[in-house]
Amino acid sequence: MNSLNTYLIISAFLFSLGLLGVLQRRNLIGMLISVELMLNAANLNFMAFNRFLTPDPVVGQIIALFVMGLAAAEAAIGLSIILALFRKMHSINIERAQKLKG
Amino acid sequence: MNDFLLFLPEFSFIIAALVFFVFSLKKTSAPALFHGWALTLAGIGLVVTVAASHQEGMLFFDCYRVDLFSQIFKILLALGTVWVVFSSNELKGIDPRQHAEFYFLVFVCTLAMMMLVSAVELLTIYVSIELSSYSLYLLVSMRRNADQYVETGIKYFMIGVTASALMVFGISLLFGVTHTTYMAKLSETLPNVIRQPAAVIGLLLTLSGFFFKLALFPFHIWAPDVYQGAANQVTAYIATASKMAAAAMIIRFTGLSSAASPDLVKLLIGLSILSMSFGNLVAIIQKDIKRLLAYSSIAHAGYILIGILSMTGRGYASAIYYATAYLIMNYACFMVIMKIAGDGHNLQIKELAGLHKRSPLLALTLMLGLFGLAGIPPTAGFTGKFLVFAAALEKGYLFLVIIGMINATISLYYYLVVIKAAYLLKPVREYAAVPVDTWTRYLSIALIVLMIYLGIFPDQFVSLTEAAARTLF
Repeated sequence: MNSLNTYLIISAFLFSLGLLGVLQRRNLIGMLISVELMLNAANLNFMAFNRFLTPDPVVGQIIALFVMGLAAAEAAIGLSIILALFRKMHSINIERAQKLKG
Repeated sequence: MNDFLLFLPEFSFIIAALVFFVFSLKKTSAPALFHGWALTLAGIGLVVTVAASHQEGMLFFDCYRVDLFSQIFKILLALGTVWVVFSSNELKGIDPRQHAEFYFLVFVCTLAMMMLVSAVELLTIYVSIELSSYSLYLLVSMRRNADQYVETGIKYFMIGVTASALMVFGISLLFGVTHTTYMAKLSETLPNVIRQPAAVIGLLLTLSGFFFKLALFPFHIWAPDVYQGAANQVTAYIATASKMAAAAMIIRFTGLSSAASPDLVKLLIGLSILSMSFGNLVAIIQKDIKRLLAYSSIAHAGYILIGILSMTGRGYASAIYYATAYLIMNYACFMVIMKIAGDGHNLQIKELAGLHKRSPLLALTLMLGLFGLAGIPPTAGFTGKFLVFAAALEKGYLFLVIIGMINATISLYYYLVVIKAAYLLKPVREYAAVPVDTWTRYLSIALIVLMIYLGIFPDQFVSLTEAAARTLF
């Protein structure tokens, strides 16, 4: 039981780190990586719960695989949007992209 | 074979998406042809969805539930898609070379949201919501000549992926607490463990993914910029169809805790109040009509939540009614905007000046739509607000209802500013008359009739929504 807690603490730590990164980073690539950290924290959770609480079905492992696939698609879309932004602004700093207000 | 029939509405949209996938591979673009095809395919999709409205059953190892609740929302989604596709005949906001991709993404998004409202398994829900979000990220970024709106796409994307990361973390906690991913089993086990912090946090984080879609208070930041920065048709799609799916999912998820958690209800009440007040107060100062409607959508998310957080059958029914009324009224407003801003620019409120002379029918549609959003009888918006507040009063949330009423009054101000521009203001310079084709004329009349009919004779539809709410449990 103790080892489940270890995994949960690590995943909570990863998740908080990711959230902090999204909120605090100003570089778009950095923000994207932080989001991936949050997704991987969820993956770690799924695997740990699956291993320690429901060892028989493999639902958690399957979900982890799906999340990895979706994260890849997400990164592809995100990078394409960042690329389009970079062509127009010549920068990937989010502070340059703050014209809409009010 | 029977399973195939159950999946027919989604299947028709898969076909539509495939057709436009093939079109998007062609080197030449034919906007008029594409529009004809898209309208036909969306129309077929709507007819199939309506025809399949009374089907029931489970599909895909019980991951997918077809019942009255899901079918009503599928009809609303298909209706919204048909309307948006209908209004895309002058798709000036998007490069003609990308029109096929625009329709492709719209159909994929509709398909994903149809799967979302039927999904009763956490992984299925997650995959569907991601599919619909990915289509929307691309649609929002597609606007042409958008140097001033270039940041919109990335803002939407970043907030969206953060919300979905929160959601998947929440799902992992729910899975850990209840050891299952099926909603039916979740609703049995969750009330027993709802006192555990992990369960409450898991449920809240999961809900946050849907709050993002509905633009509810802590996740509303994207709405004004995206509404303003996306092409008019895309904004109309986000404001109408995608709100329906989010409302449906919040109804499904709050039902899980079955009122066993007073803390959750308190939190939802707080979010609802903040959402209404913030949306309405900030909307007052807006000059751009799409931005104004964005803040109004934040406020309306709060009203829908009032119905949902009552957590009674009547509350859910009222929320479904409110969502339907909101779809119709909001589309009525957006149709007028898309028609007046034929070249795809962002309409300012002062540009509406003298609209009642340029096009009386559009001015009337806009006025009724805005009256509906403000909640003035005899429109559907009034009946919707009445039902939602009545459901909340039944549970004794008097304070919430009073704040809701005050907010409805505040909102009247900025809706009336728009109506005043359309009816009373003299135009500063001469604006060209708005060309209204026959089909748009018919559609406006249909929308006007629908708004008033649903407002005066809601009985039939209310009993339908109540039947749908009963199938939830």
